[in-house]
Amino acid sequence: MKSYSRLWLLLAISFILFFVYSMCGPISVCGFEIRTNKLSQSIIAQVDTNLIKVRDDIPEKVVPKFPVPVDTAKKIILFVGDSMLDGLYPRLAAYAKENGHEMYAVIWYSSSTERWGKKHRLTEYINSLNPNYIFVCLGSNELIVKDIKEKRTKYVKSILAEIDTIPFVWIGPPNWKEDTGINEMLAENLPEGTFFVSNGMKFDRKKDGAHPTRESAAKWMDSVVRWMPEHCLHPIVLNKPEADKARAKRVFVHQPGEE
Amino acid sequence: MIDWSETLNNALSLLAYDPKSPMLFSSGLFWAIFLVFMPIYASLKGSRPKMVLFMIFFSLYFYYKSSGFYLFLLVATSFIDWWIALKIAKSESLTVKKWLVALSVTLSLSVLAYFKYANFFLMNWDAIIGANFQPLDIILPIGISYYTFRSISYVVDVYRGKTAPVKYWLEYLFFLSFFPALVAGPIVRACDFMPQLRKEPKISANEVYGGLWLIIIGVIKKAIIADYICQYNNLVFDTPTGYNGFETLMGVLGYTAQIYCDFSGYSDMAIGLALIMGFKLLPNFDFPYRSTSLTEFWRRWHISLSTWLRDYLYIPLGGNRKGTLRTYLNNFLTMLLGGLWHGAAWKFVFWGAMHGAGLAVNKAFRPYTSRFDGKKWFTALSWLLTMITVAFLWIFFRADSWDASWAVVGNILTNFSIDYLPPFVKVRYMWVIMMIIIIVTHSLPRSFYDRLADKFIDSSWLLKLVIFIIVVQTVVTFAGEDVPPFIYFQF
Repeated sequence: MKSYSRLWLLLAISFILFFVYSMCGPISVCGFEIRTNKLSQSIIAQVDTNLIKVRDDIPEKVVPKFPVPVDTAKKIILFVGDSMLDGLYPRLAAYAKENGHEMYAVIWYSSSTERWGKKHRLTEYINSLNPNYIFVCLGSNELIVKDIKEKRTKYVKSILAEIDTIPFVWIGPPNWKEDTGINEMLAENLPEGTFFVSNGMKFDRKKDGAHPTRESAAKWMDSVVRWMPEHCLHPIVLNKPEADKARAKRVFVHQPGEE
Repeated sequence: MIDWSETLNNALSLLAYDPKSPMLFSSGLFWAIFLVFMPIYASLKGSRPKMVLFMIFFSLYFYYKSSGFYLFLLVATSFIDWWIALKIAKSESLTVKKWLVALSVTLSLSVLAYFKYANFFLMNWDAIIGANFQPLDIILPIGISYYTFRSISYVVDVYRGKTAPVKYWLEYLFFLSFFPALVAGPIVRACDFMPQLRKEPKISANEVYGGLWLIIIGVIKKAIIADYICQYNNLVFDTPTGYNGFETLMGVLGYTAQIYCDFSGYSDMAIGLALIMGFKLLPNFDFPYRSTSLTEFWRRWHISLSTWLRDYLYIPLGGNRKGTLRTYLNNFLTMLLGGLWHGAAWKFVFWGAMHGAGLAVNKAFRPYTSRFDGKKWFTALSWLLTMITVAFLWIFFRADSWDASWAVVGNILTNFSIDYLPPFVKVRYMWVIMMIIIIVTHSLPRSFYDRLADKFIDSSWLLKLVIFIIVVQTVVTFAGEDVPPFIYFQF
């Protein structure tokens, strides 16, 4: 009975520890971020998490004043970003296949503008794949970064410098909680007609409460594509495919800790 | 600000039936529920009837969480087979006994066939006659293959006189629904399990911490290693033509390691949980990739299934008692049906048939090769041939279709260059590290693990806590956003 009690105590203490830690933001130790688990997120609900209001403080400049002619050339599309790509890229690949584009996806799990901006991985892929259109989906792992403008603006600018003159669309994070300014910071730094604001959309989420389900992510991608002809700085041909999803020509995966 | 009403709803929905979300032993939900389960079980274990009732209640809830009201199928199976086994034991007539066994086996296999194979046969029949059948809307109850086999073995063992019939139905329901082994094995035999139930469970520090040790090992195998390396393996198998031959080969080797870590990790957790409750389940894996022949591989891989197939299929078919050719045929048929047990698809049939053919070839060559036994070069060559065969056949087991399997094979054979090794190691260094860990740990002698387990059991409580926390945090660090279910759940 004593062994039982001690085992129970061991399991209970560690459970409480992980539960409480999951309610706080991740802690950095010597530059390494100790990831949090999803224990509390799947149970504890924050007010308004199911119905996120559309922010009204996004500058108007993200929406161009008039439609731009559609570029009808076949493209080599590079789609880069965090784990949100898991749901997004198969749908974009279906669009690419339908319309004769070639598509590559680079998923860097748990990545952020900081990781991409610091490591210049995008430049490596641009050099090796020669894309002439880029989709970016980043920001989901930075919803609650404090002082985000001070901390992350330079990395967004660094990513933009890497993209250089290649036309692109940046898909904003699908907020599941109020952010501390990532959407506003992106809106301020991204050129007019390149930022698709996902904040305010309603999603069916996976059990982690953050990632849209496959079906919901596909609808998310559909929304981006529907947005492009009227609002994007450089729209391309993306007629709706018959297939729900397709395979990218190649998918590159990077793990959270990869340098 | 916390929305308490929504929080309560979330908690209740987590506990409710969700076919897409079975309760994994390595999940936070199971951890939380086990914290409630443990003190109740500990307080009841001195009183067998109460403990049995409580365990049945908990196991049925565990099953309900993933399979909903199919739990009544489990309850019905247990009642019917318990009743038939009693009748077999009481009957004086051998003919009646035989008919009763036939009735039980037919009923069990019919239910299994309906849920698992009805659409398979329907669609194949449709393909043959060119009709336009639509697949039936059947949901496969999780674990049905496992508990059906356990129930069949019990009835047959009672018929053979190997085990005494269970007097009380609730005790048999306890055995059949025992949650650690319910949904993905091991396929526990009543003759091994029931005697333990009849004694008061002996639970000392050895059992409690030995169980915790096995759970930790299982979590490391499943939730850290298998779940991590599967991310790359899945990419390769999803788009084999998107990768060069070297990368594809790595994906195949990765899957070879993944399926072992996934399934043996699950078995370790199941055995560990049972041990904490005072029940000893037999090992299900014994370093299978050390095997130097397919025969040895099947003595080390999914031991509870391979011994079940041997005792209830191979031997009744005649085993090796009816001549050489018949032995080969029996091996082939046993493995072919073993393949079909894994899933209602031709790829599993092919996989099983090829293993059966491999076993027959192995047996056929044995008289000519036995003189080389003990020679290092022969052992090394045998191991290599066995590993190549096993890994090659995993391709067909894993790939989504026949075409995809051959795309993987073709890619390895026609698009392979060792030049891809340095960039592969550079880019996927963590995957490579994981694979090296698997190879090294698989090569260490069993005595090393026994010593390690003893050291863990004897270590201080605080050290155990630290080890446990480190392992869980490592799981969190390496976890993908979607935790893949145990591969063997689907069977």
